[in-house]
Amino acid sequence: MSSKKPFSKDIILLSDVEAVANEIILKLQQDVLHNLKRLGAVIGTSGGIDSSVCLALTANAFGPERVLAVMMPEKDSSLESEQLAKELATRFDVKAIREDITPALSGFKCYERRDEAVRRVFPEYNPKTHKMKIGIKQSGLSNNLPPIFSLTIIDSNGNTEDKILPVNEYLQIVAASNFKQRTRMTTLYYHAEALHYAVIGTPNKHEQEQGFFVKYGDGGADVMPIGNLYKTQVYQLANFLGVPKAIIDRTPTTDTYSAEQTQEEFFFQMPFGLMDRYWYGFENGYSPKEVAEVMGESEQKVKALFGNFERKKKTTEYLRMSPIRDYYGR
Amino acid sequence: MENDSIIKEKVKNYVLQAVYADKEKIKDVTLIFKEGYFDSMGFMVLISFLEEEFGIKTNDNDLLEENFESINAISDFVTRKKQ
Repeated sequence: MSSKKPFSKDIILLSDVEAVANEIILKLQQDVLHNLKRLGAVIGTSGGIDSSVCLALTANAFGPERVLAVMMPEKDSSLESEQLAKELATRFDVKAIREDITPALSGFKCYERRDEAVRRVFPEYNPKTHKMKIGIKQSGLSNNLPPIFSLTIIDSNGNTEDKILPVNEYLQIVAASNFKQRTRMTTLYYHAEALHYAVIGTPNKHEQEQGFFVKYGDGGADVMPIGNLYKTQVYQLANFLGVPKAIIDRTPTTDTYSAEQTQEEFFFQMPFGLMDRYWYGFENGYSPKEVAEVMGESEQKVKALFGNFERKKKTTEYLRMSPIRDYYGR
Repeated sequence: MENDSIIKEKVKNYVLQAVYADKEKIKDVTLIFKEGYFDSMGFMVLISFLEEEFGIKTNDNDLLEENFESINAISDFVTRKKQ
């Protein structure tokens, strides 16, 4: 007989947040100081909930004097992100520095390559007067079709146009935009190596397992303290650790494209509270029927969701793989 | 104008060359998305292929499972769009 707890909406809640925080802090000390033999930690702070919780955990683990927070805005970043990141560093008494990565991105032709692809879809697009973003076109979560992407441009009067993105333009826009995460990663490693510190990665469980990160970008780090936590649990930790309320109350955004875009709109396709519970049911082997009853959904919809999760895991496996090197002497 | 059988042949040839799977397993009614032969990227490339090959334009309302779920469904979808 299985000892598994019956599925419930509260099943993912941490019952002892303090104990979980302490466990993570102890492991951070063990991993960074003893296993990696680094003296402290460098962390990129965006003003988002994930990097904020990671900073709070890191400051508790090593002491604020051995943590460096690096804000890395670029010309498409929202000003609010930087203000919140500053507020966070002040709250935890951590030294924060600002590295504007716009010149580096210009050097990589990040904006030029992206805008060239955007103009192939919308010839009238002008980055000086338009904002742009890509998003998921249809709600692929409840049927068997995988998501497909659309491009939206918004002019200075707020007029919006969107089109299904042709594959070549999609790939070019994403590849160009990924310079942002990879430039941030390499900036963090500069500071980490200069101080003999480790780089703290900030992806949460969903980002890791569903592949919502850039390989060798925000996926490039030495340790990922919240990589096994659901977003609901990250918020529990944020409240416990004293992360500023303005950060906790803010809707998670991608902060990647010039137009405002939530993570739900771009990738997850449902609020994180729902996603957490469905994903928990999926990965812990609960039947679609049991999950559907608790969540007040049809069994068919939950089955389709689980199928979608399975596909997402498989198709993003490439992102999580290390380089394959067993070509000789296996 | 291409007749239905030519459209179906072209769609079938495309699907068969696009998947890295045992081609014997993919029949005209095989649910190519449900069974995982095509992912998001495969879907986007498929749409680009259909638009270029058949001169059709896919819009938001077309992104339905019944239009893309199998070789038969895709062929019917193309035939309808060309009418």
